[in-house]
Amino acid sequence: MEFARYDINKYSPRQMVALPLVLLLLAGIVLGYTTLTTGLPLKPGIDFAGGTAVTAFTSDSRETIEATFSGYPLLSVGEGIGGGKYIQFGPMDDARYQSLVALINEKYPDAKVDQIGETFGKTLQGQAFLALLFSFIGMSVVVVIAFRNLVPAGAVVLSAFADIAVTAAIMQIIGIPLSLGTTAALLMLIGYSVDSDILLTTRLLKRKGKLDEKLAGAFRTGIIMTTTTLAAIAAMWVVSTAGQVQIISEIASVLLIGLFVDLMNTWMLNAGILKEYILRGGKK
Amino acid sequence: MKSETIVHLIKDWRVALLIVLVAGSLIGIYLTPPNPANGLEGNLQFGLDLQGGSWLQMEFQSVVVAYSTDKPVGDLIENLQKSLEADVIQIDENHLEIRKGVSRADLEPLFAASDAKIVGYQEGVSSFTADEVKRILNDKVNALGMQDARINLLTPTGSEYPQYVRIELAGVDMATAQEIVGKQGMFEIRIQTTGNETEHVLYGDQITSVGVPQRSPETQAWGVGFTLSDAGAQAFRDAALRYGAVDNPNAHNLVMLLDNKTVYSAPLSGDLAAGLRSAPVRSLSASTGTGDAGLEDAMTLEIHLRAGALPVKVNVVGSGSVPAALGEHFKTTVAIAGLLALLTVGVVVYYRYREPSIVIPMLAINLSEIIILLGIARFIQQLDLASIAGLIAVIGTGIDQLVIITDEVLHEGRVPSPNLYMKRYGRAFGIIAIAAATVIIAMLPLALMDLSTLRGFAIITILGTMIGILVTRPAYGKVIMEILSK
Repeated sequence: MEFARYDINKYSPRQMVALPLVLLLLAGIVLGYTTLTTGLPLKPGIDFAGGTAVTAFTSDSRETIEATFSGYPLLSVGEGIGGGKYIQFGPMDDARYQSLVALINEKYPDAKVDQIGETFGKTLQGQAFLALLFSFIGMSVVVVIAFRNLVPAGAVVLSAFADIAVTAAIMQIIGIPLSLGTTAALLMLIGYSVDSDILLTTRLLKRKGKLDEKLAGAFRTGIIMTTTTLAAIAAMWVVSTAGQVQIISEIASVLLIGLFVDLMNTWMLNAGILKEYILRGGKK
Repeated sequence: MKSETIVHLIKDWRVALLIVLVAGSLIGIYLTPPNPANGLEGNLQFGLDLQGGSWLQMEFQSVVVAYSTDKPVGDLIENLQKSLEADVIQIDENHLEIRKGVSRADLEPLFAASDAKIVGYQEGVSSFTADEVKRILNDKVNALGMQDARINLLTPTGSEYPQYVRIELAGVDMATAQEIVGKQGMFEIRIQTTGNETEHVLYGDQITSVGVPQRSPETQAWGVGFTLSDAGAQAFRDAALRYGAVDNPNAHNLVMLLDNKTVYSAPLSGDLAAGLRSAPVRSLSASTGTGDAGLEDAMTLEIHLRAGALPVKVNVVGSGSVPAALGEHFKTTVAIAGLLALLTVGVVVYYRYREPSIVIPMLAINLSEIIILLGIARFIQQLDLASIAGLIAVIGTGIDQLVIITDEVLHEGRVPSPNLYMKRYGRAFGIIAIAAATVIIAMLPLALMDLSTLRGFAIITILGTMIGILVTRPAYGKVIMEILSK
């Protein structure tokens, strides 16, 4: 495993936190720029912007499909294996939608069709934002209560925040839209992220022994934890993407990105802050 | 492992609890009731996207306004009804339900004109109206003999009033679903002529509005008011005069029929008979009697008068359908995804520990966690695609935490004494408990939000985490201890 070769004790705290902080800053710039230009930190998917999504199995090529639906606000055509296609349309008025449905029924009678209205999408957006906010606050409260010590708790919260921000920025860059599924994945990331952070903090602060050894031990356990989770999520991603199960594929891809980001934030950002804190004699 | 070790293990309450729950879950899924036709799926309930069907989400075109006024509220209601051409209903002392999608800015001048002020404004309907909508939709679906229909009222977080209704019909395509929701019954009023003979008076299309049940101040009897069109009122008067109902009301009942079934029958009241003698009457009221029975009948009659039309206009804001074949395909795909996830996890932990006596219990515990989760889910949560994603995520976190326990007790590669073991296990459990608490807290908002179609995902994740922390982790701790000290 590549990650295991990273010698966590080789670097000074300053070196450890540098990369994650720079990435966090870059993520802030990406998300901030998108917010300024579009009003939202991430490009919204159909759930939040309104529109129609179609899952169909057909031997028709992407070009044929594009030609078939050229009269409608076609956004994208995604392809899986076995002829699976995922076709997205932007919002349209009711008459247009009815004619689209008629066309889909004629061409692809066995398609899954989902449609969300534009204003309803806005409502969903607001609700998703509330969910993220409450989750994050709830998580912070639990962490602060658990450690009753501001620096370690703050480090955990900061690294969870960095996980979400950097993951979101990567989503924006590679073009994964914000949808109900990806929002759920970001929430789930809060949970996953805190897992390894707590392991690290507990091992370092509550165990006796040499700092280097504790850090290396925590790192070994942490890597195996994240690798197993990655394995489960990767399996989920491969199968659902191949089988055109859009929502699971979205959740899985965000979790995959997020877990890699979390590896960095836990073992560089959070570990760096903790190491500095302990070296300065903050430990009782 | 020796047989006495196994006996010893089973006698431990943690392990016993795990075994009992796994057995109970299997019984719940496969034996209560036995469902061999479903094969491996047993009694698990699946969501629309896995079983095929259609859903419609509709938004009520209605607002609830909190108001204050010094004048009689009746005047305000009347003025609003006139200028908005919509039903306005008083919900309680200071709230009105205005059954039209109208903005606050448009309402302000109307309230001001009646010397009233708007104190609060929210989109949605009162719970009373929402329940009525649900009842009407239920009636329609039941009338068609649909077994698998779900109708849910949805209230956005931050609002007190239901704003959406979502209807899910399994095994029905979109066109049929829309027809069911939009379909209205045939309502007719007939008049008794001689004996049991009746004659047609008017159809439901002549009814222009229907009120809510109200109690008459004089008689205390409940009743439902409704209004006829001019043509309808004329037809009503003509019939009453022609068949002698005006002269002898008691011999000529007015009969209301919905889809040719009698839903109400009563004579004209003395007042109404007298009124009809001189001119057509547009506003009528059908009395249903006093007390709770009267109210209940009035509520049913109101629905009948509407002939299956909803009291509030609705707009479709979202819809979707999944053909059964595609649902079947999704089911296969997610089953493969789940198995593959379990398998890869197994490979990774084997690569790490190279010790079957650790890896096998780990996977067995993980599998039992999934079984218990499914066993509980069978009663409370239909499995849709999102909740299956939650299930696979639980496999991931579950293994994570078993790794924490294993690494903690195996510290420095030595097998600890029971005392030390318990101390280390306690420490590992502390880490897991905090992690579990944060996952639950992070998922809670999603699980509580009405609007989100991801409730299933959140509920399954929370449930899985709780089963882990309460049942399977303690059992694993015990099993691993026995194995290590053999």
